[in-house]
Amino acid sequence: MKRPSGLGGWLKVILPWLLLAALLLLPVASPTDNVIRLLFVTAVWTTTSLGWNLLGGMAGQVSFGFAVFFGLGAYTTALFMHAGHSPYFGFVGGAAIAMLASFLIGLPTFRLRGPYFVIATIGVTEAVRVVMNNLDVTGGASGYRITEDKPFSALEHYYTAIAAAALAVLVSTIIAKSKFGLALRAIKQDEDAAADIGVNPYTSKLWIHAIAAGLTGIAGGIYARRAAFFYPGDVFAFQTGISILLMPVIGGIGTVWGAVLGGVIFGTVEEELVVYFPNLHLLIYGSLLIAIILLEPDGLLGLLRRLFRLLRGKRGDSGSPGADEVLWGSSRVEGREL
Amino acid sequence: MDAVEYLDLLLKALLLAGVYSAMAVGMTVIYGVMKIVNLAHAGFLMLGAYFAMELFQRFHIDPILGAVLALPVFFLFGMAVHWLLVRWLPKSDTPTLASLLLMFGFWLVLQNAAYLKWGNEDQSILTPLTLSSVQIGQISIPKVNLVVFAAAVVCMIVLQIVFHRSWFGRSMRALIQNPYAAQIAGVDDERTSRLTFGLGTAFAGFAGALLGMLYSFSPDFGRQFLLRSFVIIVLGGLDSISGVALGAIVLALVETFSIVKLPASYQPAISFALLVVVLVIMPKGLAGLFNRKWKAA
Repeated sequence: MKRPSGLGGWLKVILPWLLLAALLLLPVASPTDNVIRLLFVTAVWTTTSLGWNLLGGMAGQVSFGFAVFFGLGAYTTALFMHAGHSPYFGFVGGAAIAMLASFLIGLPTFRLRGPYFVIATIGVTEAVRVVMNNLDVTGGASGYRITEDKPFSALEHYYTAIAAAALAVLVSTIIAKSKFGLALRAIKQDEDAAADIGVNPYTSKLWIHAIAAGLTGIAGGIYARRAAFFYPGDVFAFQTGISILLMPVIGGIGTVWGAVLGGVIFGTVEEELVVYFPNLHLLIYGSLLIAIILLEPDGLLGLLRRLFRLLRGKRGDSGSPGADEVLWGSSRVEGREL
Repeated sequence: MDAVEYLDLLLKALLLAGVYSAMAVGMTVIYGVMKIVNLAHAGFLMLGAYFAMELFQRFHIDPILGAVLALPVFFLFGMAVHWLLVRWLPKSDTPTLASLLLMFGFWLVLQNAAYLKWGNEDQSILTPLTLSSVQIGQISIPKVNLVVFAAAVVCMIVLQIVFHRSWFGRSMRALIQNPYAAQIAGVDDERTSRLTFGLGTAFAGFAGALLGMLYSFSPDFGRQFLLRSFVIIVLGGLDSISGVALGAIVLALVETFSIVKLPASYQPAISFALLVVVLVIMPKGLAGLFNRKWKAA
């Protein structure tokens, strides 16, 4: 890793830690229950957003099926807790089961080029929900209830969610800077060329899919533990998969902080705005997707970057690549081919 | 289970295959020519069903005629969508992230528009045909299934003729085979793409109207058929029209006969299981399997 240079470079290193510290110290300022709840939801969504971004943004493999991992995480955690284990053990179990499921989806579909993986992910949510609706162990369609012996602590839930989001940021950053991340981006740009220089697209895709699934599984477990009640039509809904995909696209696909931004905005909008326009949320998300794809494929991050340049009154580069990097991260959307 | 029941299921499967092939063929031509996985296909199917319903309820137009009327209307609609949205996408030989997300976003918009207009209750089109049936020996077949099958087959034949006998069909086939060579030979890529998108949408609207006669529908109607359409396309080898008919028959047979062993509630999982099996065993589809045999022979 290169040493940070100049003020911009140092800011880039320090800002995430400042953000984390602020989030950790926030409860000292005794915020309202609603703020804590909102931040909890946002952190859970951000974790899934970062997970999706690893596969969709970095490796360029679109998946509509992340609800499967979210739901499996939720159910696994619940079953572990029901068996008397610690919920944290349950989160790990949820991640493991989600990873296992990711292999089941990836093994047949990643072998082939073309749209096979994408289409399989549309079907897999449907298939899993149908099975879960009819599974007796988990109460079928009527859902599952988690009971904990100790009193409800909003703060504990809050800290778990923040920890998961921080873990997701850490994993994403490490992968983005590693040789593996480079290989993934090579696959996204040109799979044949990547294979020629010694990258194995098949195994790389399988592993990043598994890592992304694991993070999403953890998020599902954390969500389920706080919600305490959930059912297949909720956690395994196609809608959940859509939400997970929308966040990194809105924020800025392919960048770590774009995924975070998307998660934060989506969490807030979903919780505060959609409540007032429940009839229009598909319309809002659909038009947003169309607008982003046609007008600014780099998402909000790309838009901000453009604004930033405009404010500095310069065309093209802002003149300071360091400053650009601080604000927007280094991994822009490259080739947008699947 | 005796022979009559088997024959009954076989017949039902064949009738289902007819409407399935009409449903999947629109997706095939668009994928073949533009390499776009048209996720909005589900939305067009849904709109087709509502189109037939509106015509039937307001003007008492028979839904079969409604389905035929859907062809020109959805053709124009599809061309408009192409002109407005699709043509701005970057051209590519493989499906792009941008095209998937764009069509998906458009599907969400269509779905929401339908919720606003028609609400989320299940609707159905009931005609005198729906409840009457034809009796052949011990087997009884609803008349509506027969009519829908006939309409679907006629339309597939017309499409096959257009595909092989017209200038437009030849341009489409050229673009499917090799887009670069086709353009060098003088095929207008932009115009053919627009017409193809119109054609694909027209067939989606048509098939949606037919499906609306068989099943009850809501604004979320198309989703269950999106994966089925794709399984059929994969079985048929992605961009061949005759492959679609073959794929539709296979899927219809598997779905119909699975009822014997599996509870009906597991039905939606079947097409996914079939997709995985196909991908593992014969990634080039059934057509690919035949081609290989012929080459070896």
